[in-house]
Amino acid sequence: MEYVNPLTGFRIDGRRPNELRQIKGELGVVANADGSALFEMGNTRVIVAVYGPREVQNKSQQNNNQALVRCEYSMANFSTGDRTRRQKGDRRSTEISLVIRQTMEASILTHLMPRSQIDIFVQVLQADGGTRSACINAATLALADAGIPMRDIVTSCTAGYLCSTPLLDLNYVEDSAGGPDVTVGILSKMDKVTLLQMDAKLPMDIFENVMQLAIEGCKAIANYIREVLLENTKQLESRRGG
Amino acid sequence: MRDLQPSLNQTQRVRLQSALRQLHSLPSSSSSSPLSSVAVADPIQVNHDDNILKGHGTLDCDGEVVATLCGVVERVNKLVYVRALRARYKPEVGDIIVGRVIEIAPKRWRLEINFSQVAVLMLSSMNLPDGIQRRRTAVDELNMRSIFEENDVICAEVRGFQHDGSLHLQARSQKYGKLERGQLLTVPAYLVKRRKQHFHHLEQYGVDLIIGCNGFIWVGEHVEAGENVGMLVEDQKKTSTAEEESWSFTPLETRKHICRIANAVRLLSALGFTLTVEAIVDTAEASLASNIEINDMLGAEFFVQTAEREVQRRASMVRKKG
Amino acid sequence: MVGLSEGEKHFIRGGIAQDLRSDGRKRLQFRSISVETGVIPQANGSARVRLGATDVIASIKAELGKPSILRPDKGKVSIFVDCSPTAAPMFEGRGGEELSNDLSVALQRCLLGGTSGAGAGIDLSSLIIVDGKVCWDLYIDGLVISSDGNLLDALAAAIKVALSNTGIPKVSVLGASSDEQPDVDVSDEEFLQFDTSGVPVIVTLTKVGRHYIVDATSEEESQMSSAISVSVNRRGQICGLTKRGGAGLDPSVVLDMISVANSVSQQLITVLDSEIAAAEASEE
Repeated sequence: MEYVNPLTGFRIDGRRPNELRQIKGELGVVANADGSALFEMGNTRVIVAVYGPREVQNKSQQNNNQALVRCEYSMANFSTGDRTRRQKGDRRSTEISLVIRQTMEASILTHLMPRSQIDIFVQVLQADGGTRSACINAATLALADAGIPMRDIVTSCTAGYLCSTPLLDLNYVEDSAGGPDVTVGILSKMDKVTLLQMDAKLPMDIFENVMQLAIEGCKAIANYIREVLLENTKQLESRRGG
Repeated sequence: MRDLQPSLNQTQRVRLQSALRQLHSLPSSSSSSPLSSVAVADPIQVNHDDNILKGHGTLDCDGEVVATLCGVVERVNKLVYVRALRARYKPEVGDIIVGRVIEIAPKRWRLEINFSQVAVLMLSSMNLPDGIQRRRTAVDELNMRSIFEENDVICAEVRGFQHDGSLHLQARSQKYGKLERGQLLTVPAYLVKRRKQHFHHLEQYGVDLIIGCNGFIWVGEHVEAGENVGMLVEDQKKTSTAEEESWSFTPLETRKHICRIANAVRLLSALGFTLTVEAIVDTAEASLASNIEINDMLGAEFFVQTAEREVQRRASMVRKKG
Repeated sequence: MVGLSEGEKHFIRGGIAQDLRSDGRKRLQFRSISVETGVIPQANGSARVRLGATDVIASIKAELGKPSILRPDKGKVSIFVDCSPTAAPMFEGRGGEELSNDLSVALQRCLLGGTSGAGAGIDLSSLIIVDGKVCWDLYIDGLVISSDGNLLDALAAAIKVALSNTGIPKVSVLGASSDEQPDVDVSDEEFLQFDTSGVPVIVTLTKVGRHYIVDATSEEESQMSSAISVSVNRRGQICGLTKRGGAGLDPSVVLDMISVANSVSQQLITVLDSEIAAAEASEE
């Protein structure tokens, strides 16, 4: 199948190879949570709610030096093209929960909140490729919304290699094409990679290009997220008044 | 309280947008303006020669001072810090707070106060029911439940942090203690400013309004300080039928005022305006003056009107200063 | 779901007795409802309903399937509700399972009729394509994003709105009807709007003390002695009934509650219909 049109260079959804899908971030979607956010990358839609820092529920896990970060990932039954009933705690959910937790933990300044716990709940409403990345981006927004101190803005993006072209931000069709799928998560200001996953095969030099493309995508998303956060902060401050 | 924004029709949305834009353009009365807002990982301008103290919300990253929170940069003499907006409550000694008992432990109560940990109220920091100053005995310890039970709402003062990092409260004065006959509201802690007075007795309504610095706000029937707070619970245990209970219900007039004040608090918190007694009372009076039903105070029309009224108020304050 | 102190519970009970609840509502008044359609573009139909701080999404997906042998002339519908942990930390892991099952079963009872399929609020015969061989399987999924009481009513309203937003693709049957599995051609362009005039709404009446209230918040729900959820359709017919709570109810009280629910539901249906019309108008 022609994922990249050889004549025009457009992909199946009309994007150029190094073009991100339309992204949109919104803060404050869940009323009861300390922080929450909705993040969309094309048709992929994710809601993240953050509860904390609050008292540790399970005293045996309490850490006297830093906060405990927990994460749970769940997909709605209607999130994928074929409607499937998902069991809670299946392997993919557990793995993604672990990945998100480790990525966010690298950025949260946990030593500032000892003896407390931070819960990150991820709910996927629609999955159309790049779900992992959308979850991490939404989690960053939600944690900032909750006022939890972080080292840096963490963003994530995917890239692949089809029809001899590196492609940025794969959607579901491109992802299931059988080509490689590289997911990168970075700390944008510090320019450090915190998450790197890939499946399928890729020669080393091409891999560098694909990873570089994904990192560019992450930086673009980081700029957008920063804008959203800044705008939101200005709004709140001006409403609050002197 | 965020998503309590009612659904607005087109004209209301336009009016609200223009009111918010005007608020944004008003010069802020405080030292910091929205221009000094920062997002996470933004660098903060400092003069490196000055031995600047890096306070909360900042991080030293390769010699550069970087924000770790989204908020507003505040500079006080040599201290630079970032004041976060929507964060959990940050306790300071002497703050008046309202909390809920979640656990009774040996010689102490544990209260939830919207902080990253639970706060502790020691039995020795609490007045005994008989009012005598004496050592707490083992019998007192067993009778802790007769003073405060689980889920009780209590008003207390922050005493300080202990060396193990836990937060301690004290409730030794007559004005602190259990709160009954009313409702507890939760608002984001940043909307409550520290003032001299947090207990307000609104005489014209007969309502007690306690604005806790942690964002828990109590609106209830007026109770004289020092009145035997155990009364209600004892009455409850005696009366078991609905008829007898209805005698002790709050009278309807007071209840209407309580609901109006509570809705004013909900409305102001949904709009993101600072909660001061004046603002709350003004909103309640405005609703009475326009004859709006108590329930409609949370509706779209009054929402937009309150925003417009706030714009007027702030504009006139700026004019008075200028 | 935080606990409430005795004093607060007393205050709530007093408010209900005096017909002035904590937010100023009367006993039989709903919170303001806001409705959005088409929130899940991948689904055949979807809706998001906000009732105060309660926020639920319903999505409808239609897939081709085989009708059951017992009822070869009817399509199949299944309803599942999921409580997302974003609504409350206690829903994480399997914490929300009991509540989800409770809500799913109650919705099935109210919307899908008896085991024989008779009396269903949704007309199952309209889902059949080829008798005994091919039919539409309708999967109705509810997701609770934020909870502040009265989840059942909100979910039922979301399902009703989602159904009105649902487009079932037109199907033309190819191949002779004697085939085991006839080929069907699912059209990508033409869609049939689902007929939702018979879909009921659910009104939950919570009994606190001697009075009943409609649309309880989670604080008020903690005070309930019992609750009755009644599902009523536009013609005023009762499509389903569920009683919750341990306290016993006098039969005359039950009949009274049902008639109150009936009148309140007619108002709710009117409000929902106007919201659906507004949403459809804004889409065009």
